[in-house]
Amino acid sequence: MKTIDKYSHFLFTLPALLLYSLFFIYPMINGFLYSLTDWDGLSTDKQFVGFTNYWKLVQDDRIVDSLGFTFKYALALVIATVILALVIALLLNRIRRFQSFFRTSYFFPAVLSMITVGLIWNQLFAHAIPDIGKAIGSEMLSRNLLSDPNWVFYGILFVSLWQGLAIPILLFLAALQSVPKDLLEAASLDGASLFQRFRSVVMPFLIPVLNMIVILTAKSGLTAFDYIVAMTGGGPGRMTESVGLLVYNFAFQEFKFSYASALAMVIFVIIGIISIVQIRSLSRYEVNA
Amino acid sequence: MANDKKLSGLSMALLTAGLVIVFLPLYLTLITAFKTSKESARDFFSFPSELYWGNFLEVVGSNNFVQFFMNSIVITAVSIVLITLIVPLTAYAISRNMNKWYYKTLFVLFIVGIIIPFQVIMLPVTKLMTQLDLLNRPGLILLYVTYALTQGVFLYVGYIKTSIPKELEEAAYVDGCSKFRTYRSIIFPLLNPLTATIIIINAFWIWNDFLLPLLILNKSEAMWTLPLFQYNFKSQYTFNYNLAFASFVLTIVPIMLVFMVFQKQIIAGLTGGAVKS
Repeated sequence: MKTIDKYSHFLFTLPALLLYSLFFIYPMINGFLYSLTDWDGLSTDKQFVGFTNYWKLVQDDRIVDSLGFTFKYALALVIATVILALVIALLLNRIRRFQSFFRTSYFFPAVLSMITVGLIWNQLFAHAIPDIGKAIGSEMLSRNLLSDPNWVFYGILFVSLWQGLAIPILLFLAALQSVPKDLLEAASLDGASLFQRFRSVVMPFLIPVLNMIVILTAKSGLTAFDYIVAMTGGGPGRMTESVGLLVYNFAFQEFKFSYASALAMVIFVIIGIISIVQIRSLSRYEVNA
Repeated sequence: MANDKKLSGLSMALLTAGLVIVFLPLYLTLITAFKTSKESARDFFSFPSELYWGNFLEVVGSNNFVQFFMNSIVITAVSIVLITLIVPLTAYAISRNMNKWYYKTLFVLFIVGIIIPFQVIMLPVTKLMTQLDLLNRPGLILLYVTYALTQGVFLYVGYIKTSIPKELEEAAYVDGCSKFRTYRSIIFPLLNPLTATIIIINAFWIWNDFLLPLLILNKSEAMWTLPLFQYNFKSQYTFNYNLAFASFVLTIVPIMLVFMVFQKQIIAGLTGGAVKS
């Protein structure tokens, strides 16, 4: 009994070790190896081609465009999320009554699946918004904005925010509520204006959460897939083909499996850098909390 | 003071306006699901003149909707059970042996997993699952359990380190308890608060996930989950979008009910999980 128990802790980790090695580490390594070949994903024949795929990546306009769209989208998403979530959290923090009702209501979109949200808005953009446009005589709104090259970006951004604001709002609100009341009162007695109070008293309490939100949102923006698939499929043309979608398309629609693997490695490096920043800010957050 | 009151009133007005943006699409989804296509074409925004259930009947009747729903339930439930069995157990062993290289390495590997975007492994994993003949529900469940390990172990190790003192189990060992029994009857119950969070985060992720089912189950319709059905159903409603809205309502209602019952825990779990991951 005693001797068996000596290995218990090791046995505790065994299922996780097996699962993780087989379904995570092994594919990880394979992904990198695939990226060094010319494999199409189906044939039994594959050649080692070194870093050729990576060189091709840099010269591929479709990838450059896709990265451009993805960065622009992620950046806009981060900026809009931070500003709007903060404003809504400040408003929520102000009100005296119904606060929990509003909190719950603003949170609700977070529990829905992104694919459903995307498909709902896809339908509303096709049927509801043009009706509103016609009713108010706005020519711009009378079209399906998702098939309009000038507006599709904002259409997707709007839907991402509709759902994506939910959690940042609550994170900001929790941070706002951690600001000691007497500190605010003291500042107010000293004659600090609303803005001054926000900048000097409230802001320091928001910084850690702000870091979190920026990184989480950037990550979700850079890996966008569900909304795009549900709303535009990457169109019109290839305007909204995010890198997440591009990896999928290359690998499973166009049979450039090794090429897609190389692109995935590039995403890994980009997100890896962002995540290292995340872990850093996380450890800082834990010291402060 | 009067200023404060004015601000509070203004905030309330703005928030109410925002609420319209949150709920209008959901309201439109609901009313359109209950209208015939003729009525919607006449006026998209009007309240249905009568509750027309035909759309729902058609969505449920012409598809294996019940099957998809059950697939989602079973996949989520089985994954969650396995996650609660494996993840805290692993994390417990790691956190009690941090001074040994094996456990330390394992821990670092899990943490690194948090950083790696799914796109990186999605291609080789799909190939692997094909080779192993695991393009099916059990295969998908194995993947969910695996990918829940990264964040889960990280959260549990942190929690055990700060809130489960070693003295507790040492007393149990003196009484002759095996390590597993000690874990099961002393440690695991103490982890309940975090386990609730872990269950919520993972249940929502698995229930709502689209990409993994798309990769693993898309080829066999009988195995579809609700998000996958939702996506594939797109081709069926090109000419009758009322059906689409009925299918949206059918997928939203279950989650809405769950949300209404457990809203406090869900909000705390999902926001807490976001901060900690």
